[in-house]
Amino acid sequence: MVSAVDEHFLKEWRRIQNVAVSDEGPVEVRLRQVINPGLKVTDRCVSCHITMGAGEGSVRGAKLLAPHKPVFHDPAEYGCTVCHGGQGLATEKAESHGDVHFWPEPMLPARYSYAGCGTCHAPLNVPSREPYQRAVSAFERLDCYACHRVEGRGGTIRPDGGGMEGPDLSKAGLTGYDREWYPKHVEKMQKAPLKAWKMSFSTILDEDRALLDAYLATCVGASRLVEAKAMFHTAGCLGCHKVSGVGGDSGPDLSRAGYKDPGLTDFSHVNGPATLANWQAEHLRSPLSIVVGSQMPSLGMSDRDIEQLVLYTLSLRRRELPISYVPKDRMRALRFGEREFAVDGATVYGTFCAGCHGLAGSGVRSAGLASFPSIANPDLLERVSDEFLANTIRHGRPGRRMPAWGDMESGIRPEEIRAVVTYLRSLSGVTHKPESVPPRWVKADSASGKALFASACAGCHGAQGEGGEAPALNNQVLLASATDTYLVETIGRGRRGTVMQGFLDPSPARRTLAGTEIESVVAFIRTWEKKQP
Amino acid sequence: MTPAEKPPDGLREFAENLKAAPRHIYETAFRGGTPATDRTRSTFIFGNVFLHLHSVRVHRWTLRWSTTMGLGIMTTSAFLITLITGVMLMFYYKPFPEAAYDSMKDIHFVVPTGRFIRNIHRWAANVMVVAVILHMTRAFYTASYRKPREYNWLIGLGLLVVTLGLSFTGYLLPWDQLAYWAITIGSNIAQSPREVTDAIGITQWFDPGGIQKLLLLGSDVVGPEALIRFYLLHVMLLPLALAALMGVHFWRIRKDGGLARPADADARLGPPPAGTYPIFTEAPQRTYQLAAIVKGRTPAVNNGPENTVPSMPHLFYAELGVFMLTVLICLALALVSDAPLKELANPNVPENPAKAPWYFLGLQELVSFSAFMGGIGVPAIVLLGLGLIPYLDREKEGTGQWFGGPGGWPLVRRSIFVGLGSTLLVETLVIRFGWLREWFPHIPQLIITAINPATILTTVYALYSLWLIRRHHSTRAGAMGLFTCFLCGFLVLTIIGTYFRGPNWVFYWSPGDWPKH
Repeated sequence: MVSAVDEHFLKEWRRIQNVAVSDEGPVEVRLRQVINPGLKVTDRCVSCHITMGAGEGSVRGAKLLAPHKPVFHDPAEYGCTVCHGGQGLATEKAESHGDVHFWPEPMLPARYSYAGCGTCHAPLNVPSREPYQRAVSAFERLDCYACHRVEGRGGTIRPDGGGMEGPDLSKAGLTGYDREWYPKHVEKMQKAPLKAWKMSFSTILDEDRALLDAYLATCVGASRLVEAKAMFHTAGCLGCHKVSGVGGDSGPDLSRAGYKDPGLTDFSHVNGPATLANWQAEHLRSPLSIVVGSQMPSLGMSDRDIEQLVLYTLSLRRRELPISYVPKDRMRALRFGEREFAVDGATVYGTFCAGCHGLAGSGVRSAGLASFPSIANPDLLERVSDEFLANTIRHGRPGRRMPAWGDMESGIRPEEIRAVVTYLRSLSGVTHKPESVPPRWVKADSASGKALFASACAGCHGAQGEGGEAPALNNQVLLASATDTYLVETIGRGRRGTVMQGFLDPSPARRTLAGTEIESVVAFIRTWEKKQP
Repeated sequence: MTPAEKPPDGLREFAENLKAAPRHIYETAFRGGTPATDRTRSTFIFGNVFLHLHSVRVHRWTLRWSTTMGLGIMTTSAFLITLITGVMLMFYYKPFPEAAYDSMKDIHFVVPTGRFIRNIHRWAANVMVVAVILHMTRAFYTASYRKPREYNWLIGLGLLVVTLGLSFTGYLLPWDQLAYWAITIGSNIAQSPREVTDAIGITQWFDPGGIQKLLLLGSDVVGPEALIRFYLLHVMLLPLALAALMGVHFWRIRKDGGLARPADADARLGPPPAGTYPIFTEAPQRTYQLAAIVKGRTPAVNNGPENTVPSMPHLFYAELGVFMLTVLICLALALVSDAPLKELANPNVPENPAKAPWYFLGLQELVSFSAFMGGIGVPAIVLLGLGLIPYLDREKEGTGQWFGGPGGWPLVRRSIFVGLGSTLLVETLVIRFGWLREWFPHIPQLIITAINPATILTTVYALYSLWLIRRHHSTRAGAMGLFTCFLCGFLVLTIIGTYFRGPNWVFYWSPGDWPKH
């Protein structure tokens, strides 16, 4: 009896429906649900949030009866949990919002709502932050908002224009747009009888047009998610983590990180609430204090950057879907090999390299980890050829954390590697000085080099050149790519801005080496090289 | 002939019959009439197919609270409750992996009173397991298994096994993490004879463990095949087996002369107190004709009926009282505590610790040392020993009395100390210092199978029991010692397994000390 009374009179959703009123009068009190077998959705959320159900938009009553803001995916068809998470089968607030024991998928917090798009979608061609912001501001600067609307902004009708309005571009990146838009705009402007065209459109420079195209490619109706993804493509996360089969192997696969079960997550070192979002934020702030023995460098990011990365991480959901529901973007990535990141050098660098080598290529030092080399160093770039750089990216540093990006299925494609090399050059502004001597010209006594190495180099590079605080020198890929001039110059002149000082420079603090001594050291280093069979 | 007068008569008759129909239906259903006299009280029972398993009259000793404590009826009541609630749950339950979990959620959230019904079902099942164990304990300590009730004791053992089977098969049905991993553990225990066959290298020719697991799961892992098997067992085969065995169990009570009572029960009871319902309201009109052809100790043969009272109302009211108490217990527990439902079963994310249902945690504790001995060897020895008791103890002293027999309560008390002491000592040593595998990593498995806490405790109990037999010159004394020891062992191991074992089956004082993943 008690239970029956509870079932029939005390349920919260019954009380909500009891006071709710639609245009036709009080609503019928019954269990409401949205069922979508294709998406495996049975969502009873509409028992309380009545207005989101089919044909019930006019119901009024409480705050939670506010209608859903206009979206492409009607909740009455797609259900609620696909985007928002939570427990659709439940009929009580705490249980359905999912923040209870034994429910692996609590609702996404409202400020991370756009992460829900990641259940099905994967925005493509997203640049890293800096190019993205340039593209966004180009759209604004060139006053495209005057006629076009993007996510509810812009597209005002000109007072004297008599109804001129360009198409809504919110989803131009998803649906595609006319690539010939610029000549057509120009033609219209010249022919247009209306003053509005002349006033609001003028010629656009080629580079600005490229920016606009880059911007349009990212227009998928979820700019906050794209912005967050741009941050993800800036922080170099794919250098260690894989997402949908792209990225490195040394960290956990993040393809479904947004579905990480809070119940199976260790919150013992996390300050603040035991939510996945908070865990991710605290972890990004300082990986080693959350996960014992973590090999992830601390990136020293601002709260805003972290917020965006958390949003993107939460969006990594990629639910398995029946084929009819797989969206175009994901299909293009899966079946046609399109990239989720833009393939310009800055973005590829930001996507794969920045996590270890730093946002500006100046290397990263992180507590408990070997330091990561500064690869935009002008001393380095002056001495190495583009081929050397490409080779290093392609074959990595076996035995160290640098993977062989060109040899991995999940790695970087040849044209992308070329773009990164060009980008690296542009970072320092230094060109390679071609060498006039053959690659292997040093002929010196490796035995005396051995003693010199032990006293001058082994402290940082390891007794066998295996690397320590400084890079490994016995690395076969390095030895194959590096010319003798490169080694001699690097030892002699050092690398500015790093611990590696030139050994030719006089110093009161440590020993120096004469030219011939440096050659002996190089000869000794060469003894580690395994001859190609 | 006056045809004009006839029709009103027919109509009146029809109307009267219609009016009397409810009364007639009642009278034809309960032919004896109101149970007010000895005769009608008797017909009330033997005229009813469900009640006539009872004898018409019952000895006053049986009705004493301390004789049974109502535990058998409590078990039966719990079974009836699970039966009714179980059938109700079957209307909504879908026995296929993910659908099963979703239907649990539906039962929990939208089926009217579904959550409550499920809670009752779960609690009644637990009450049934507890009550059946206590019932067996009662039957043992009152030496009720003795002649002529030996066979009924065996039926009772069968009922114990089927009850545990029912509870275990029901455990998988929600298809959540708890269920999935508990059943995975269970099926691995079924596979544990491999521990021996592997050790002597004959698994590829003779693999009883693998066959047992395959029979149980219908596959190598817990999957849809296992679920449908468990479902079939849970809702059909085992309940039918249980009902059949229960029928035999009850019928046997009657045939074996009612419940066991001391030989001098009549003397000890004394004359019935004044005001007791008259024992005989009328002189018997017939002699017991069957006595000539039926051999045995039916209630009326060789015994005077003086100390018996009619089952209706004395016995039935007591039974009804126990039934209502059981219902009350189940309802109260169901109101305050929800049956667990964890995450959807996920074969890729093992629960740690994965624990079997609580009544198997004592065994799981032993299994952690040797799967074969803990899971198959010792339980088989225990069941065999329990089954043999009535055939080895042919004594007469103390039948029908609590702790009856040589030694009595002091012996049981000492045995409790021995049982608790030895189990706690062995567990303490093992938890503190580890076991053979930690000391000699390369020791052959067969040695561990032969020497582990399970076998050591069994041996200690057995030696203690043999010593008791010699000292008291009585098998009953040994049996009481052994039974008490095993009961204490079961208790200690179950408590350790339930409350003090954490991830990787490591000992922790409280779950708060468990490492966080």
